[in-house]
Amino acid sequence: MSESRNAYIDAFPAEAKVVRAAFYSSFLALALGGVFGIIQTLHRTDVFRFIDSTDYYTVLTAHGVFLVISFTIFFLVGIFTWAITTSLDRSVKDIRFTWGWYSLMAIGITLTGVAILAGFTDSIDMSADVLFTFYAPLQGHPLFYIGLVLFIVGTWLAGADWFRTWWAWKQENPDERIPLPTFMVLTTMLMWYIATLGVAASVLLFLLPWSLGLIETVNPLLTRTLFWFFGHPIVYFWLMPAYMMWYIMLPKVSGGKLFSDPLARVVFVLFLILSVPTGIHHQYLDPGIAEGFKFIAMTNTMFLLLPSLLTAFTVVASMEHGARQRGGEGYFGWLKALPWRDPVFTGMALAGLMFAAAGFSGMINAGMNINYLVHNTFWVVGHFHLTVGTAVALTFMAVTYWFLPQVTGKALWNRSVALGQVVLWFLGMTFMSNAMHRGGLLGIPRRTAEPQYDGFEFEASVGSVAELDAQIALGGILLTLSLVLFFANVIGTALNGRSDTLPDNSYAETLSGPEDAPKVLDNLKLWTIIAIILVIFAYTFPLLSIIDRGGLFGPDINPFPVSIETIPMLAMALEGYTTAAVASAGEFAQATLLGVIR
Amino acid sequence: MGQATDTVERTEIGHDEFDPIGTLALIMVYFAILVALWLFMYFVEFLGNDPTVTGAVVPVVGLI
Amino acid sequence: MNIHTYEKLWLIAAMVLIVGFIATITYGSVALGITMVGDQEDTIEPRELSEDDRFGEPRVEQVGENEYEAYVVARTFMFQPDPIEIPENSEVTFYVTARDVIHSFSVAGTNINTMAIPGEIATMTAEFDEPGEYGIVCNEYCGSGHHNMEGELHVLPEDEFDLTELSVEADDEVALEDDDEVTLEIAVENGQLEDLETTIEAEIGDETFTEDVTVEGDSTYETTVSVDAADLGEGDHDWSVTVDDYEESGTVTVVDQLEDDGGDDDE
Repeated sequence: MSESRNAYIDAFPAEAKVVRAAFYSSFLALALGGVFGIIQTLHRTDVFRFIDSTDYYTVLTAHGVFLVISFTIFFLVGIFTWAITTSLDRSVKDIRFTWGWYSLMAIGITLTGVAILAGFTDSIDMSADVLFTFYAPLQGHPLFYIGLVLFIVGTWLAGADWFRTWWAWKQENPDERIPLPTFMVLTTMLMWYIATLGVAASVLLFLLPWSLGLIETVNPLLTRTLFWFFGHPIVYFWLMPAYMMWYIMLPKVSGGKLFSDPLARVVFVLFLILSVPTGIHHQYLDPGIAEGFKFIAMTNTMFLLLPSLLTAFTVVASMEHGARQRGGEGYFGWLKALPWRDPVFTGMALAGLMFAAAGFSGMINAGMNINYLVHNTFWVVGHFHLTVGTAVALTFMAVTYWFLPQVTGKALWNRSVALGQVVLWFLGMTFMSNAMHRGGLLGIPRRTAEPQYDGFEFEASVGSVAELDAQIALGGILLTLSLVLFFANVIGTALNGRSDTLPDNSYAETLSGPEDAPKVLDNLKLWTIIAIILVIFAYTFPLLSIIDRGGLFGPDINPFPVSIETIPMLAMALEGYTTAAVASAGEFAQATLLGVIR
Repeated sequence: MGQATDTVERTEIGHDEFDPIGTLALIMVYFAILVALWLFMYFVEFLGNDPTVTGAVVPVVGLI
Repeated sequence: MNIHTYEKLWLIAAMVLIVGFIATITYGSVALGITMVGDQEDTIEPRELSEDDRFGEPRVEQVGENEYEAYVVARTFMFQPDPIEIPENSEVTFYVTARDVIHSFSVAGTNINTMAIPGEIATMTAEFDEPGEYGIVCNEYCGSGHHNMEGELHVLPEDEFDLTELSVEADDEVALEDDDEVTLEIAVENGQLEDLETTIEAEIGDETFTEDVTVEGDSTYETTVSVDAADLGEGDHDWSVTVDDYEESGTVTVVDQLEDDGGDDDE
């Protein structure tokens, strides 16, 4: 029966299980993140507040960490494992090792999640209301940092797994070009290894010992700089799997071929060498870092636009190739010939469109002095809800509709629901991020429970703050609906019976193939060395200067365990807190459950 | 599963016959939007958002 | 490697875009003089802010004809001083530091925006041409009360702005038997650099005093007014001192005999 079928699960049944587990972990995080997302959307906009504002930051931490750490990265390891095995056409070296890194990641994020969610209840002396950026002297529970470390070590081992598989393949195919999907995986992982050195140093040398009481103080500017050493390239770690999908899946679902394999390689090489030496652009307004270093970070960042701009052309040209093959004509008329009824295509295309808009707000963020206008305002939140929140998340959801059948062997539950889901996400995010960008230009800050102040009001020259809030709340509701539809499909598919008519496991062919790409592009050692040199150039002097100014362990200052310091405030807001406590007990039960499941 | 249900007939277009003119057209529109928005953001939104931080180095010396 | 002509075209356009962006920013820096918060200031111990010359008493100081410096401390969950008052047509340099965790100092609706990091001092200079009131927000999450952290920046019309400080010292109790006087020791501090011409008006009971004074720039004028306790008679007497919009007042009690004469020898 299954002989006629050639899905991923048929060729790689063992790997398909790991990929499936990674996807489900990713979706669980998406569900949790989504719930926290709608809670804070309604709270911030003052549409519906049922939690205490002090708990808002626990919600925000959970929303951030679950979505940008577990949702994105679990999905990444899923499709990277798929990409390696599919494009090299061989199994991983040792499936137990594969399960090993998956388990490490799962345990790690569960520990971190427990530390965060425990912040909802006072009965456990544990919290980590430190947000995704965990800037010292805000201090989280040690479990928060330990979990993060385990999770990241898990990703390192995952990378080792993929490299090992590639080396084994290379032994047997010494003269062949690295297949494009594998090339993308390897360059992305090399970038990730360099990037995570920053956060590893920050957590292992400073924050973890400090949270355990082994060292007294830390240098807030140093740990912050080390965070952004990692914090900017991580956005490319989210983005690269989406880019991979745009390069190797989108052309196929458009009915065409990838326009240029060589340029795709150039793009990933550029990301490898330019992703890390840019992090200081998150610190344009930090005292203690000289303007010159900021300028260098800006030029690096601006040149990092290049691979994205090239991607725009290559990907659109590949889509156009599909459209022309499907009979599309004219300068713009070909757009109508694209398969808009296919949720996989439409989701990715809309994600790409949103990324074009995100590209613009990113260009503003990259600019040095214009940062005075937008830094830490709601604008930034609008920006990354377009990038990671749409370009990445919507692409992931769209390709899920292709991947789920591949890794489960079951047909997708409902294509129309899927199509509705991706369109709804696009609409919801249009409302939400547009209003966030505009709000940021009025000076409305990000990361606050109540952007409503006693002494003054934000003045809108066009529209009003109330109108912006309404748009954000509406957007949040549409996004939540979209998530409900997504999970309906995931669960519906899981409950489906086995299907015999699945499409083959394959990815896009190329118009201009690897034979057109200079051999040097595949020289990963060379690019890694260049990447490291650029990082050394960009970071040595700023780091030395920060340490020289403020000391390795910084000034004498108290840690700020958010949970303990807030007790007086909590006491003040005691009424209404009982409800929150009941809700949080439920949340905590959920977290424990999550631990058990894993 | 995209194309599995597609019934559109297709013509094979090879590497040499394909000129992505539609892409060029689209991306030039994008280019124009980027330039216009950038100028608007910098010169209207940013520079119009006075007061702005200027030369912090000079005035401190200017004690009478 | 063959790259399609159109894609080469786009490559060039993309480079033009990138270089154009960098050029715009450079234009802002060089031609318009927009400087970034940098490393101009030495670090400071956050624990010792209260002993620091500048941040011990967060305030606005005049340093030049139209030049002011504002020393601002950001702490959970407030800004000091609050409100920050400065005159219109002035050039103000803000020195901002944080006492506990990372905050920001962001004047809503303007391009004045900086992180406030414990141990570091951010400096920003800006010109204020028009009177107005701005809100100040902390736009970096700083703990559970983050959303309550706000301040105000008042740019006052020139005639409403001063850095005058009036302080009065007076006894609470004065005894008749010692032939004592009820004395007000008045100090008028002029924090501005130009002279302050004003009138000190004092009132003790029914007695009034008026003195036209010129307080030199960056100095303090001290004067004393007194009335014989006998003239006031036994009982409570209100006093007040007014200089421009500032008023200090209190009550002095004239008694027959002080119960404890110990440490009270002010003459």
